[in-house]
Parts: sequence; C-alpha cells; structure tokens
Amino acid sequence: MAIHEKSLIAPEDLITSDKLVVDGVDVSGHWNTMIKPRYISDYDPDFYKTIQSYGGGENVHRCWQCGSCTNSCTMYAINTDFNPRYWIYLVNLGMKDELLKDKDIIWQCVSCNKCTNICPKDVRPEGVMKALQHWLEAEGHTQKSNSTLFDEEFARQCLERGRIEDTEVIHNFLKKTGQDIVELVKNGWLGILVARMNKWPLLKQGKIIKFVARMPLLGPVKMGLMMVFKPRTKSWGRTGEVLRQYVEEQKRLAHESK
Amino acid sequence: MNETVLIVGAGPTGLSAAAGVASVGKKVVLIEKENRLGGAPIISGYAKLVPSGEWASDAIGRMVKRVKDDARITIHKSTTVTKVEGDFGNFSATLSNGQTVNAGAIILGTGFTHFDSINKPEWGFGTYEDVVTTTQVEQMVVAGKIACPSDGRVPERVCILLCVGSRDRQIGREWCSKICCTVSTNLAMEIKELSPKTDVFIYYMDIRTFGLYEDKYYWRAQEEYRTKFVKARIAEVTQGPDKRLLVKGEDTLVKRPIVIPMDLVVHAIGMDPNLDNPQIAKVFGVGLEKHGFLDRGEQYTSSFASTRRGIYVGGSALAPEDIDTSISHGLAMAVRAVGDLSGLGQKAA
Repeated sequence: MAIHEKSLIAPEDLITSDKLVVDGVDVSGHWNTMIKPRYISDYDPDFYKTIQSYGGGENVHRCWQCGSCTNSCTMYAINTDFNPRYWIYLVNLGMKDELLKDKDIIWQCVSCNKCTNICPKDVRPEGVMKALQHWLEAEGHTQKSNSTLFDEEFARQCLERGRIEDTEVIHNFLKKTGQDIVELVKNGWLGILVARMNKWPLLKQGKIIKFVARMPLLGPVKMGLMMVFKPRTKSWGRTGEVLRQYVEEQKRLAHESK
Repeated sequence: MNETVLIVGAGPTGLSAAAGVASVGKKVVLIEKENRLGGAPIISGYAKLVPSGEWASDAIGRMVKRVKDDARITIHKSTTVTKVEGDFGNFSATLSNGQTVNAGAIILGTGFTHFDSINKPEWGFGTYEDVVTTTQVEQMVVAGKIACPSDGRVPERVCILLCVGSRDRQIGREWCSKICCTVSTNLAMEIKELSPKTDVFIYYMDIRTFGLYEDKYYWRAQEEYRTKFVKARIAEVTQGPDKRLLVKGEDTLVKRPIVIPMDLVVHAIGMDPNLDNPQIAKVFGVGLEKHGFLDRGEQYTSSFASTRRGIYVGGSALAPEDIDTSISHGLAMAVRAVGDLSGLGQKAA
C-alpha cells in the first residue's frame, strides 16, 4: 500500500527492511516499510534573537503566520518548498534543525520584495531571508564558493604583506579548492595558459634563439624566489595592522548595528 | 402599576442597570445570590481588567460603592428569587428570604459560569497540580507571584491553551467565549512582568482578540513581551519522569507532532451558560436559546427583551460577553425598563 503524503516524510525516517517480522508475523515485502515519527521535543526560544542580529531580520518576531509572504512569493510559485512563512515560524520557535533541512533552498530568494510589500505586520520577510542566508554562512552551514576562497586568499596576502604573489595565490587557491595542479596543466586551463606564454610561432619560423630567449624562464625563477622569501611592501607592518583592524571592526559593526 | 425595577444579579451588568434606573429617580431592588456584590470579577478575584488596566477590585469596587451609596437602591445579598407572579407593570417576586418584592419590570443580569476544566480530562486539570485555569492565574497576578502550585517554584515555561471549553462539539460547547484570547494575551504579558525569565507560549486555533484589542493585546504580547504563539490544538497533557508536564499535540504549521515540556499549563477557560439558567428560566418564565443561555426577544425595536414581556436580559446571561459591553447592556436595559414602564403609565392615564 502506498504511504500517503510520502513527500512529507524525510528519507531518513523511512525504514525499509528486506525481511521484517512483527509479533511473529512475517510482513516482508508489501508491508515492510515503517515510518519513524519525528517529534518536536523542545524549543529554543531565544533563537529569533540570533536572526534579529543579522541585517533584515529585526522584525521576525512580529510574524503571526498569515502566509501572505508565501502566497505572494515569486519563488514559491516555482518551487513550493520555498516557503518563507514556514521558515519565519521555525525561527520564532527556535527549531534550528528543521530550518537546516532547507539550507540549500533558502538561497533561492530573488529579493523581489513582494512579501515585504504585502506583509500586514511589517515583518519584512525578504530581509529575514537575507538574515537567514547570512546566518547560514556565519555558522558554516554553506559551502564557500571558489570565488570566495580566491578572494579570501587574495585579501589575506594583501593585508599581510601589502602585495600578492601570483604563484602563491594560485597555489593556495588550488589547494583550498582541491584542484590537482598536474591535471590542470595537462588537460586544464593552466596548461593552456602556459602554452600561450610560449611563442610557438617563433619556433615555426625557425627563430630558435629568439624563441629560447623569450621562454618564460626568468619569470618562474623570480616567482619561486618570491614564494620562499615572501617580500613585503616597504613599512607595511603598521599599515597592515591598521587595515586588518578596520576590516574586523567593519564586520563587527555591520553585524551589531542590525 | 409599580415603577420599581427588580434587578437580578449584581455583576457589571446588574450594577450598571441599577445605577441607570436610580439615576432617573426610580426605585431599584437588587438581588444577588452571593454574599458579595461585584459578580465574577470580584467573586473569582480577577486581576487587571481589559482594557482599562485597572485592578478589578478598584474598578468594580467603584461600581459597587455607587450602588451601595444610592438610597433608591435596596440590596439583598445571599438571596435568590424563587417565584415570579403577575405581568409587566405588576410583577410580584418572592425571595428566598421569604420577602416579597413588587416591581413593574425585571432586569436579568444573571451572568455566566466559568467552564469547569474537569470536563476536558485529557488536558490534565484535576490530575496534575500544575495545570491551572486563567482564573487561577488572575488570582496569582493579584497575589503578585507566578508559581507552580505543586512546589511553589517559579515556572521557566508556561503555556496557555486556548479554547478550553469553547468551540468544541465533543463537549457541546459550540460557541466562542469571546474574551479568552484577550484575557490570555493580557495574562501572558502580566506573567512576563511578574517573572521576566519565564517564557510564555500560547497554543491556539485562531486568535480572536476582537476590535481594538488586536494591537493592544495580541500584537503587544507578541512583539513587546515575546509571547510565542504556536498553532496547535493540544491532544493531551501528561507528566514526564522529572515531574515536568508534557504537552502533546500537532504543530499544525510544521505538520509534525510535538511533545514539549512545560512547568505550568494554563487552561483559558470559556464562559458557560449560568448553571442556574434552567432554574432561572423556570422561575422567571423566560426562554433559553439552544446553547443554554437566556434567549432574546426581538432585538431591533425591542432591544434586550427576553421572551417574556417586561423582563429584560443582558450581559453574559445572553452570550459570552466582556465587562465593558455588559456595562453598556446594563445601562441599555435601564432605559428599556424605565421607558417601557413610563409608556405603560401614559397608556393607563
């Protein structure tokens, strides 16, 4: 027999065994699927304060669950799992685990602000979506994109030394994103880049000496040295420190002022 | 023809009616079955009233004093009416103390009875000490301390269950008691004021804080006092091994069963028809409507008429009613009674 509204059951709560005997009766086959009940066994009544501390989430506690946001939602029309009303409810009662089940959908908000326009209690659901995204990010529930990882490495070197080393940026970027450098040279973009740095036409024209002279030999050597010595911009120490403090402070302010 | 008006019940409705009739110089006989005047707000020890925020003892106390100080009003406490004879203009009522009162018109402000939560045993009232009613919490607020009756501890978490004895076909209460949502949101704020560390949850089907009570009670409780509103009709209240109460139901909006520990469970009890209504109907010869409240006559040109000429009904004897509206009913009935008697006198002249 089919399980009604099976879509509402989380896959991990569906238990199917190949062989199942209940009270001496063999129910293998047709009747062997059991559903583990999911209970809400407690609230975290202060969780909403966390979301309020992110920009946009300030009014989340006002929600009275009329559903106007979800009804007006551009995304909900396309994907009924995208349900702002529901997430706001979970925030207010502090059901973090339930919320995290949708951590990959919350990002689909297109910020059309129809919800914010229609909300009778001025909850500003679009802002809540933003706050939720920031919270997910801050709590490490989202994977950082390759471009974020690149930016982080770039910024780190800037702050530390007032300059970047191309080789080191690429090296660390590849390491952090788990990309194999050998594979990239052989079949990927790195190989193409290196190949283009060589002046193949010179070779074809028979200008061998010119070709060798133009081969990128000095560059890599210089890069290698830079990797080892990691030179800084002159008198960078104090400047870097001030900049770092400034960045930290801005981050803190952006979070606190909300 | 007798111009005296007999008023039955000295709650907000009766007190208001008595003062109204006396204010135009007519005599009143006021009958109260309890030994105190003031009705439910005084007898049950309500705390602060909606929407004035005044203590019930002060506000209703003023109404009582106004009536007591009026020489035109005769008061009989601990008394009921046992027999009514005669007709409009010339009623003769026999009291339980043996006296007879002659009156031209009768006003019934006989009120309601609080729902007895024993009738919903699955919600734990009478089984667990820490399951109480809104009336009991009102009394706690008067006493200035929110505590679990079982051991006197300050509750970490309180939940209020709405619609206890209202909107429930299972127990024959097919009406909304009108005031419980407002009372409960008001109590949620008072609990938070007395005990800031207590978290208050309200389990609801809908929130019906009517009229201007919407923002003053519902919104304020939610937005300023951080009351949590959970859309769930509770199935049962049990007790966990740690003696904390377990509230079981389905969170309708999450589509998931819940079992939540609570320290104090409060029933927002509804308003039943006065338990004495069958007797009142018999003695006064007035009809009851299908739920057991006193029935109305024609409302638009004969407001507050009962089904018997010369007898008027108002306040929570008619249906669940709030105090302010009951007071208006009382005054309206005073006008009806005095006006109709005056008309009768002119006709006779």
